[in-house]
Amino acid sequence: MAAGTAPAIATQKVTKRFGKLTAVNELTIEVLAGQVVGFLGPNGAGKTTAMRMLMGFIRPTSGRATILGGQPARDVALRRQIGYLPGDFRMDSAMSGRDLFAWFGHLRGGLNRARVNDLTDRLRLDASRPYRDLSKGNRQKIGLVQAFMHDPQVLILDEPTTGLDPLIQKEFLGLVREAAERGAAVLFSTHVLPEVERIADAVAIIRAGRLVALSPVNDLLDRARHRLEFRFSAPITKSLFDGVPGVVEVEVNGQTATIAVDGPVDKAVRAALNGPTLIRVGSAGDELEDLFLTMYGSGQETV
Amino acid sequence: MLAVLRQVIWRRRIGLIWWSLGTAAMAALLAVAYPTVRNNSELDKTFAGLPPGVQAALGLAPGSLLTSPAGYLNSQYFANILPLMLLVFGIGLAAWAIGGDESAGTLELLLANPVSRLRVAVERAGALLLLVGFLAVLASATLLVLAPSSGLTDGISAGHIVEASAASALLALTFAALTFALGAATGSRSMAIAVSSALAMAGFVIEGIAAQVPALRPVRELSPWHWMLGSNPLQNGLQWHWWLLPVAATVLFVSLGVARFRVRDLH
Repeated sequence: MAAGTAPAIATQKVTKRFGKLTAVNELTIEVLAGQVVGFLGPNGAGKTTAMRMLMGFIRPTSGRATILGGQPARDVALRRQIGYLPGDFRMDSAMSGRDLFAWFGHLRGGLNRARVNDLTDRLRLDASRPYRDLSKGNRQKIGLVQAFMHDPQVLILDEPTTGLDPLIQKEFLGLVREAAERGAAVLFSTHVLPEVERIADAVAIIRAGRLVALSPVNDLLDRARHRLEFRFSAPITKSLFDGVPGVVEVEVNGQTATIAVDGPVDKAVRAALNGPTLIRVGSAGDELEDLFLTMYGSGQETV
Repeated sequence: MLAVLRQVIWRRRIGLIWWSLGTAAMAALLAVAYPTVRNNSELDKTFAGLPPGVQAALGLAPGSLLTSPAGYLNSQYFANILPLMLLVFGIGLAAWAIGGDESAGTLELLLANPVSRLRVAVERAGALLLLVGFLAVLASATLLVLAPSSGLTDGISAGHIVEASAASALLALTFAALTFALGAATGSRSMAIAVSSALAMAGFVIEGIAAQVPALRPVRELSPWHWMLGSNPLQNGLQWHWWLLPVAATVLFVSLGVARFRVRDLH
């Protein structure tokens, strides 16, 4: 982190209680200009609550949440510098994307039509159709366009890729990268680890309202549990992976083996080469839950 | 200018066309049907036989005949149809204004823009005032255009028709302001509608039966229905305290609701 640069997005020991439930507990995170931070955590961990406190929709019980040094709840003009996508994007069902962009553009001090057209082209959104006639993915695209269309200095995106097909997800990652390149600070929450891997500079992991890790993406991935899938030319037995360091789970189904590995996969791959001819290797997806399991053993958490 | 208010009207444009047609059609029907009613003295006899409480509940002022212009207009329109129409419209719009928009999950998105909660609330309350007022103006305009040819305005000044419509609008606005305030303060659309509709209906019933039940008379002084009907604006015009009360109540409700809305957590 560059010294002397004030964070564009910051929470300082921010806590939010709803009655007896502590949704966010003394959370401190910072995102600098030009930085992309992935916000990870299971459902109900407090990601959305933290983002809504930053936006000023709900007030912290204690601590401070600031954007560009100010508070959007008090400083209305500050919101011009923010692009926000709620976790459950919904809008007036009779409105089309174009209607919403025109309205919000007006509220934000002017609509950049060229930019909107560029975004709708890239995300392949037909902005003329009313929201109610659109699929989940296309609705989400409207949410993305309205968040990016004014080229804000800060982007707060709650589960931005929900419902998007892989091609559009890739386009979205490009948008985030471009925003960061021109100096925007981006905080986005997700369940999907590869997404973080591709664009985030750092990852903040939150669990039961507490920050449990804030680290560069690569560090995290090196520690994470990986799932590999091997397909062999002939049926195999579980014993192929017996005693291999790092292997914590083995599942065999005829010619296919799915294994979970903590840390480097080197030894496990070598062991696989001792079996029948190896036809295919695939990553079975790194689950967020696996990441937690490696980092916190049983996954039990005390609050 | 007023982008939030204009969006409310634009968003509701189709519904507004229907409400306008309905309001005008109802007033027109009333005027067109009058010549038939006026010559039917049987109606007067039938109604004269009803207990005074029932007559009052129907909006018939003591001593006025159903077939007289004032008796007809009050009992068929200004004591029920018009205020009820405006109430339904007003409560519906008021419930959406903050609470409904919030329940639908769409208010937050608007508030991520550079518009304060105060501005959203005030412009939407303004839209409510404007649209309820528009329907009331439309109702009186239709009556004023069509009524003279059917003799419906004999002995009733145009000003009093406007004032009686205004009284209905004020009644609707009072309950709409309550709905707006409850929605703004709590974010719950259904609760806001339930509470204000229940109170509106209770007020309507109390106003009807209070003529028969003296014990209810102190209670009805608190009711916007009594503020509207108590002075019989169609015949006497709308006296100042009868419009001051609903205006004060409306301003109070909206202010309290907005004050709470500005500082509370959104749902």
